[in-house]
Amino acid sequence: MMPSQPASSETATFTTSALTTSTFPTTMVATALPLTSRPLPFPTLYGRAGFSGFPSPAQDYEPRTLDLNERLIKHPNHTFYLTAAGDSMEGWGIFEGDLLVVDRSIPPRLGHILVAMFEEEVLIKRYALYQGTPHLCSAHPHYPPLPLAETNCQLWGVVRAVVHEYLP
Amino acid sequence: MIGLVDANNFYVSCERVFNPALEGKPVGVMSNNDGCVIARSAEMKALEIPMGTPSFQLQGLRRRGEIHLLSSNYELYGDMSARLAQLLRDACPDVAPYSIDEMFIYLDGFSNAQCQALGEVVRRRVRRYLGLPVCVGLAPTHTLAKLANHVAKQQPHYQGVCLLTANSPTTMALLKQLPVNDVWGVGRRLAERLAVSGIRTAWQLRECDPKQLRKRFSVVLARTVLELRGTSCLAMNALEAPRQRIMTSRSFGQATGVKAQLHAALRRHAQRSAEKLRQQKSLTRAVLLFLNTNRHRKDQPQLSPSAMIPLASPSDDTRIILEAVREGLEQMYRPGFQFIKAGVMLLDLVDAQQYQLSLLQPSHKAHPHLMNTVDAINQRMGQGTIRFGMTEAEAPWQLRCAHRSNRYTTCWDELMEAGTHPGAIAAARAKREQQRLARAQRLAQPRA
Repeated sequence: MMPSQPASSETATFTTSALTTSTFPTTMVATALPLTSRPLPFPTLYGRAGFSGFPSPAQDYEPRTLDLNERLIKHPNHTFYLTAAGDSMEGWGIFEGDLLVVDRSIPPRLGHILVAMFEEEVLIKRYALYQGTPHLCSAHPHYPPLPLAETNCQLWGVVRAVVHEYLP
Repeated sequence: MIGLVDANNFYVSCERVFNPALEGKPVGVMSNNDGCVIARSAEMKALEIPMGTPSFQLQGLRRRGEIHLLSSNYELYGDMSARLAQLLRDACPDVAPYSIDEMFIYLDGFSNAQCQALGEVVRRRVRRYLGLPVCVGLAPTHTLAKLANHVAKQQPHYQGVCLLTANSPTTMALLKQLPVNDVWGVGRRLAERLAVSGIRTAWQLRECDPKQLRKRFSVVLARTVLELRGTSCLAMNALEAPRQRIMTSRSFGQATGVKAQLHAALRRHAQRSAEKLRQQKSLTRAVLLFLNTNRHRKDQPQLSPSAMIPLASPSDDTRIILEAVREGLEQMYRPGFQFIKAGVMLLDLVDAQQYQLSLLQPSHKAHPHLMNTVDAINQRMGQGTIRFGMTEAEAPWQLRCAHRSNRYTTCWDELMEAGTHPGAIAAARAKREQQRLARAQRLAQPRA
């Protein structure tokens, strides 16, 4: 869901299906996420052909409405939402005010975008090698990579997804 | 084996997950209404500020920035507690939450080594996935598990996980050192009575004859002895039995003698009580109301009236309970007193399923869907979305919570912020503040 790049084919399919179901306007996307660790809603809509008694040909296919929660949140119990502040991650598609879906149960790997407690501040950075050693990197020339060695840095969680809303 | 997972300084730990600046500093959480300190970080304990210290005594320290005092943020603690319970359910065969920060796990059929390993996994996961430090006590009974947890917390070399078997030399040594009132279920009064009979340590209690204790004290104490010996006899369902009465009471932010305001406060407590009542699927037969004046203000006239309103038939309908509240307030209200606390208690509860309908009484289930709908909406959209009657927004009886942190996990407008570079959060806040000021200025200017 990077707004700076053209929508991928997957994103496009998702958007059309959300529009065609029309009961869920696209702006509802964010509010449909669960506030707590309650089980995710998976509404099942079995096809029926009215009251005629004639069985619907779709009956055997058990359709299930797509659920954005299922797609963005793999571990609801360990997932937290944060808001992004600042401009130095715009190159990775994170803009000020964006909603970050942060999963704390994912082990961090190089290339992941992390939320870390760095010297008493909460930072979003890309975890990557710089001159051969692990650094917290930005996507902005003004902000040099922060070396991880000999600093007080603690992992908070791994950013799984970013939600950028175009309409209020 | 039974395990007790207990979070260390739970309220403070929850706050620290979302506010790294609190790490390593003395932090206290205040009771409802910012009255006194109810949770302390290890650093706060080291400053020898006791539990229950009134907040006003600490204002100097707070102003000088030496300690952090926060209002309690129960929405946050409740959500973190639910996440903790779910994490344990994912890892263990059976879980019974005992309080907001203590959960029993049941590990039948596991070997001691497996229990120890699982305890370590649970501790690591809770720390990593939820950010909360916990200790795990493992033992054959609830009472010993509680003791094992105490040891895991006190003695660092256990690294947060302590397994005690019933007859090991370690357990024996621990019980010999432990004062009897540190045993689960032995209060201070009971400890005094036991001391008269020469029972001062947990070990001495364990060596007593349960049959005699049962005669001289109570069944519960006899069971405690058996539990200390390693025979589990506190059943899990005993922990989960529905409550026999439901009480909601609060101190006011500011004393009031205005009848309408007292009515509004009582109505709110009644609505909350009725919600709890329906949650445990009970019906109430009577509503008890009470008001208290501030007994520390010797200069003011004192009165603590109460009223008991029996209901025509058992009910869980908020409207019937509110009608009883109105009637009760009429009975007990006296003008000329400054009240500081109000409460509503629902008592004489019966199980909604087992209750037999009387032919002569109207059905208690006249509108079952109405109450269910109200509860469902309030659960989804936040407490108090649907209320019975209006309440003033700035009523003096409303809670004081001047220093509450954000509701990071239950409120979209209060999420935790993460900066893309050092200083980004502060810059974003300054920008928002500037925008707010500019907007206020624009609005203040008369239109040309």
